[in-house]
Amino acid sequence: MKRTTAKRNAEPVRRAITVPRASNRRFYGHGIPNVDLNRLAGKLIVVEGADGSGRSTQIARLRNWLEGCGHATVQVGLKRSTLVSEELNQAQNGNILSRTTLSLFYATDFADQLENIILPALKAGFMVLADRYIYTLMARDLVRGMDEAWLKNLYGMAVVPDAVFYLNVSPEQLVQRNFAKNHVLDYWESGMDLGLSRDMFDSFMSYQELVAREFRRLQTIYGFNIVDGNCSPEEINAELQRKIEGVLAAI
Amino acid sequence: MTKTFAELNFPGRLIAVEGLDGSGKSTQIYLLKRWLEQQGLKVFFSEWNSSELVKNATSKGKKRELLTPTTFSLIHATDFADRYERQLVPLLRAGYLVLCDRYIFTAYARDTVRGCMPEWVRGIYDFAAHPDLTFFFKAQLEVSLQRILDGRPQLKYFEAGMDLRLSSDPYESFRIFQGRILEQYLGMSTEFNFSVIDANQPVEAQQSVVRELVAARIDLASFVASHPGPRP
Repeated sequence: MKRTTAKRNAEPVRRAITVPRASNRRFYGHGIPNVDLNRLAGKLIVVEGADGSGRSTQIARLRNWLEGCGHATVQVGLKRSTLVSEELNQAQNGNILSRTTLSLFYATDFADQLENIILPALKAGFMVLADRYIYTLMARDLVRGMDEAWLKNLYGMAVVPDAVFYLNVSPEQLVQRNFAKNHVLDYWESGMDLGLSRDMFDSFMSYQELVAREFRRLQTIYGFNIVDGNCSPEEINAELQRKIEGVLAAI
Repeated sequence: MTKTFAELNFPGRLIAVEGLDGSGKSTQIYLLKRWLEQQGLKVFFSEWNSSELVKNATSKGKKRELLTPTTFSLIHATDFADRYERQLVPLLRAGYLVLCDRYIFTAYARDTVRGCMPEWVRGIYDFAAHPDLTFFFKAQLEVSLQRILDGRPQLKYFEAGMDLRLSSDPYESFRIFQGRILEQYLGMSTEFNFSVIDANQPVEAQQSVVRELVAARIDLASFVASHPGPRP
C-alpha cells in the first residue's frame, strides 16, 4: 500500500480534484419512504465477496486512494447497526433462529445502516464504501431456499449502487487464506446450518461453491463487475480504481 | 400466501383478534382461551411483539427512538417470523388451536400509516398463512381512546405515533394515529373476511358472539387433548 502511495506522490503532475457528477439515483423497488433521491449527491461503491476474498484490503486501499483524490469517504458493512447487531450476534452464537427470522434480522440491520449511515452520507456528498451489500444477504438466503421474489421485494428498499465489485475466489483459495489468517473456519461461512456435511471442511467447500453459483446468477440480474480475486491485490485495486474513475466522471 | 391454515391442510386452526388499542380484544381472546381450555382442548396463545430474542432490540430501538418506519416494520416482522416459524407452525402441525392477539393485519395497518408502501409490507409477510378466523373488534374511536387514556395516561412515543410528527401533543398525536389505523382496518375488513364484532357491546354479549362463531366454524371436538396437559 505504501509503495503505491509513494509512487503517486512522486509524480510531478498535481492532478486537479474532480467533482463527481450527480448520479441518476433510484431504488431497486419500493424504497424508503420520504427520501428525496435527487439530493443524494455522493457515490455508493460496493465490494462483495466471501471472507478471505480480500474485501477489507481492497476497501482500505480504495479509501486511501479516494481520500488522496480529495473525496470524503465513509465505510459500512453487514452486522454493524446500533439497532440489532448485538442481538444478531447473540442469536447466531446460539444458532436458534429459523431462516425467515434470520433473514429479516439481517434486513433490519441493513435498513438501520441504510437509513442512518448510507443515505445521510450520500446526501452529504460522501463516497460510501460498502463492505458487502444486499447481494451477499440474498445469495445466502437463496442457498437456504428462500423465495427469490420475496427477497426482491424485501430488498427493494435498497438504493442501486454506482458500482458493485464481486471478488471471485475459488473455494480452494478461500480455505487457504482463511487458515493463513486464523486457522479456523467460521460456522456460518461454512454453511454448517445447512447440513451439507458433518465435516466442516467439506461443508465449507460445498457451501462456498453454492454461494458463488448464486452470485454468478445474481450477476446476470444486477450486472455487477466480477473481479478475478485470485489476482494480486495491486492488480485488483488498479482494476477497481479504473472502473471507479469511470463512475466519478460519468456523464 | 393468501391461503388459510385449513386450506393448506394443517390439522390445527389459527384464530386471530385485531382492533385498536383499547377495543377490548385482549379481554375477549383471553375469555375465548379460558372457554376452550375448560373443554380440554389443545390451545396455545401468542401475543404480538413477544419473541424473547427480538424483544431486546425492539425495546432498545423504542427507548432510544432509533426506529424509522422501515426498521419499525422490519423488526416487528422479525419478531413475527420468529414466533411463526418456531412456535405457530409446529403447533399448528401438531393440531393445536392457536390464538393470536394481533396478526399480520396489525402490521399492514400500522406500517402503512407510518408511510411504508403497502405492497412492500404485504410482500414481507407473504410467508405467513392467513388465519382461519379473524375477529375485528370495532369500537367507536372515542371509546377506544377513552379506555386507553383513562387507564394509562403516560403514552409511549411510538404507541402515540409521535414518530409521525402528527402533533407535538402526545394525546392529540395518539388520536390522529389511532384514527388512521382504524381507517386501514376498515379498508381491509372485506378483503380479509374479518368477522366484525361490535366492541361497544358489553363484554359478555361480545364473548357469546365470539364463542358461537368459533363453534360454528371450527370442529372443536377434533382438538381434544389426548394427553391432558397441566391444569391451567
